[in-house]
Amino acid sequence: MSVTTEPILRIRNLDVTFATARGPLHAVRDVSIDIPNGKAIGIVGESGSGKTVLSRAVMGLLPSGTTRRTGTVEFAGTDLSTASAEELRTHLGTGMAMIFQDPMTALNPVRRVGVQVAEGLRIRLGMDKEAARLRAADLLRLVRIPDPLETLRKFPYQLSGGMRQRVMIAMAIACSPKLLFADEPTTALDVTVQAQILQLLGELRRDLGMSMVLITHDLGVVAGHTDEVIVMYAGEVVERARTSVLFANMKMPYTKALLTSIPTVDMPTGRRLPVIEGRLPDPVNRPAGCAFAERCAFATDKCRTEHPPLVTEGDHSWRCWHPLGGN
Amino acid sequence: MADKRGRRIAERISYSWLGFVVALAVVGPWLPFDAWNTVYDDALAVGPFSGGHLLGTDSNGYDLLLGVVNGARLSILVAVIAVGLGGFIGSALGIFAAYARGRVDSVITTVFNVILSVPNLVLALALVAVFATNIDVTDSVPTWRRVLVLILSLTIVIIPILGRIARAAALAWTGREFVLAAQTMGMRARNIIWTHIVPNVMPALIAVGFLAVGVVIIAEASLSILGVGVPDGASWGAMISRGRNEIDYAPHVVLVPLFFLAVTVICTNHVGDIIRARLDKRQARI
Repeated sequence: MSVTTEPILRIRNLDVTFATARGPLHAVRDVSIDIPNGKAIGIVGESGSGKTVLSRAVMGLLPSGTTRRTGTVEFAGTDLSTASAEELRTHLGTGMAMIFQDPMTALNPVRRVGVQVAEGLRIRLGMDKEAARLRAADLLRLVRIPDPLETLRKFPYQLSGGMRQRVMIAMAIACSPKLLFADEPTTALDVTVQAQILQLLGELRRDLGMSMVLITHDLGVVAGHTDEVIVMYAGEVVERARTSVLFANMKMPYTKALLTSIPTVDMPTGRRLPVIEGRLPDPVNRPAGCAFAERCAFATDKCRTEHPPLVTEGDHSWRCWHPLGGN
Repeated sequence: MADKRGRRIAERISYSWLGFVVALAVVGPWLPFDAWNTVYDDALAVGPFSGGHLLGTDSNGYDLLLGVVNGARLSILVAVIAVGLGGFIGSALGIFAAYARGRVDSVITTVFNVILSVPNLVLALALVAVFATNIDVTDSVPTWRRVLVLILSLTIVIIPILGRIARAAALAWTGREFVLAAQTMGMRARNIIWTHIVPNVMPALIAVGFLAVGVVIIAEASLSILGVGVPDGASWGAMISRGRNEIDYAPHVVLVPLFFLAVTVICTNHVGDIIRARLDKRQARI
C-alpha cells in the first residue's frame, strides 16, 4: 500500500450557509482541511459544531434550494465544487462512501440485507445478481459477520445493533471507496460493541488502503483510532494536530474542556461530572470575537471582541488568543 | 374474544362478497343468461322470487338479476380502471414531489389542492358535461366516447386524492437515513425511488385504493342518477335512477341494485380499513 503525499481530499475555504426564517445560518465557516491519503482523521465537536454538515457538503448531499456553498473541494485531484450533480454522483460509492450513526434507520427495514449490500455492486459496478450475491457474502465475511450466507437472507430487524452497523460498513465499502466518512459510527451502540466496530474500521482501512474521516463528539473515540484530529467549534476549525501531539499538548481551552468532560472509571464517586457550561453561540447571530469566549474560563475582553485567526506552529494549529501552555 | 371473532367474520364476509361481485363482473358475459335488456312482457314489475325472476323485474320488464350482473361489470370496471389509472398517475406525481421537494413539490401540491377544492361529484359532472357532448347537442355522442370520458373524469378526481396520500407517505420515507445512505452510494434518484420509497409507500396506497374504489363506485352511480353516467342505463347507478319513479309501487327495483351497491362499497371500505390496520401494526414494528 503506497501512501502518497498528495491528499485524497483537499478542502479550501469551505463555507456553508443555510437560508432560515431567521436569516442566514452560517453552519461551516472558512474550513480548509487536507485529508492525507491512507490516513484516519478524526473530526471532533459537539452537536451543532458543523462536523456533519461539513461531510454532507463534501459529498454534495445538502438540499440545493436552501444552501449556499462556497470554497473548493478537491477529491483525488478532481474539483468537485464545480462538478455537476451527475459528475459528483460518479464519485459517490466508488470514491467516497459514508456510514451513519444509527444503523437501524440507515438500513431499509423492508428489504433483505443481501439485497441492500448487493445494491451498490449491481448498480454502481454492474455486477450480475449471482456475482453480487457472492461478493456481498464476501463483504459480510470481511466485516466479521458469522454465517454471511444466512445473514444475507435476513431483514435488518433480525440483527443486533452491532451486526447492523457491520452490514452498514459492508454496504459502504462494497464499491471499494478511497475515502470513508464515518459519521458517529458508534454513538448508537453499546460500549463493548463500540470498541469492536472502531477496531474493525481501523483494520479495514489498513487492509483496503482507504482514508477515513471519523466524525464524533467523543475525544475518547478518536484517541486510539486516528492519525490526526481536527476539533471543530461553531462551524470553524479551532484546533488541529497529530493525535499524539494533541493529547500531549492541547492548545485550545475548548479541546481541554471536551477531554475533561469524559467521565472515567477511576473517577471518585459522588462528585459532579465536569461539564462545559453554557451553549454553542447562536449560529444566526454570532458574537464578534472568539465563538467560545462565552464559555471559556480564560476569556478576556480581546477574546470577546476580536476573532482569533488559526495559528499554525509546525503541524499543530489552533484558534485562540490565549492558548494553553503559552504561544 | 367474541369481538375478535366478529371481526374475523366481517373480514371473511367482505372478501367473499368482493370476490363474488368481481366474479360476477368477470364471468357475467359467459353465463347462460339472456341479454340484460331482454324485455319480459309477461312479467312487468314483479317482485323477487316470482315467475322465474330471482330478483324480480322492473316496469319495463327488465330482469333485475340480469341487470345486476351486467351492472357489476360496468360499475366495477369503471371504478377499477379509474382508481388504477388515477392511482398510478397520482402516486407517481406525489412520490416525485416528495422526493424532489422545493419548487416541484409546491407546484404539484398546489395543483392537487386546486383540484381537491372542487367537490368530487361537481368536478366529474363538469368534466363529463363538457367532454361528452358535441358542439351541436343534437348529434349523438358515441357510447365508447362517453364511457371513456366518464372513466377519465373519475381518474382526474382520483389523481389528487391518491396523489396526496402518496406524497405524505413518501415524505415519511424520503427523509430517512437509508435514502441518504443510498445517495452516498451514488445511486440515481430513479433507483432510490423504486427501491426505497415505492415499496414502503405501496401498502398505504393499496389500503386507500380500496377506499377509493368505493368512492368511485358511488360517484359513478351518482352521475348515472344525474343522467351522465355509463350510457344506456346499464350500470347499478342507472338501475337505481330508472327505478326511482317506481319506488312507490315497486320498491325492489331501487332496493336490489342499491343493496349490491351499498354492500360492495361497505366491503371495499372494510377491506381498506383492514389493510390500513395491518399497515399501522407493521409500521409500529419497523
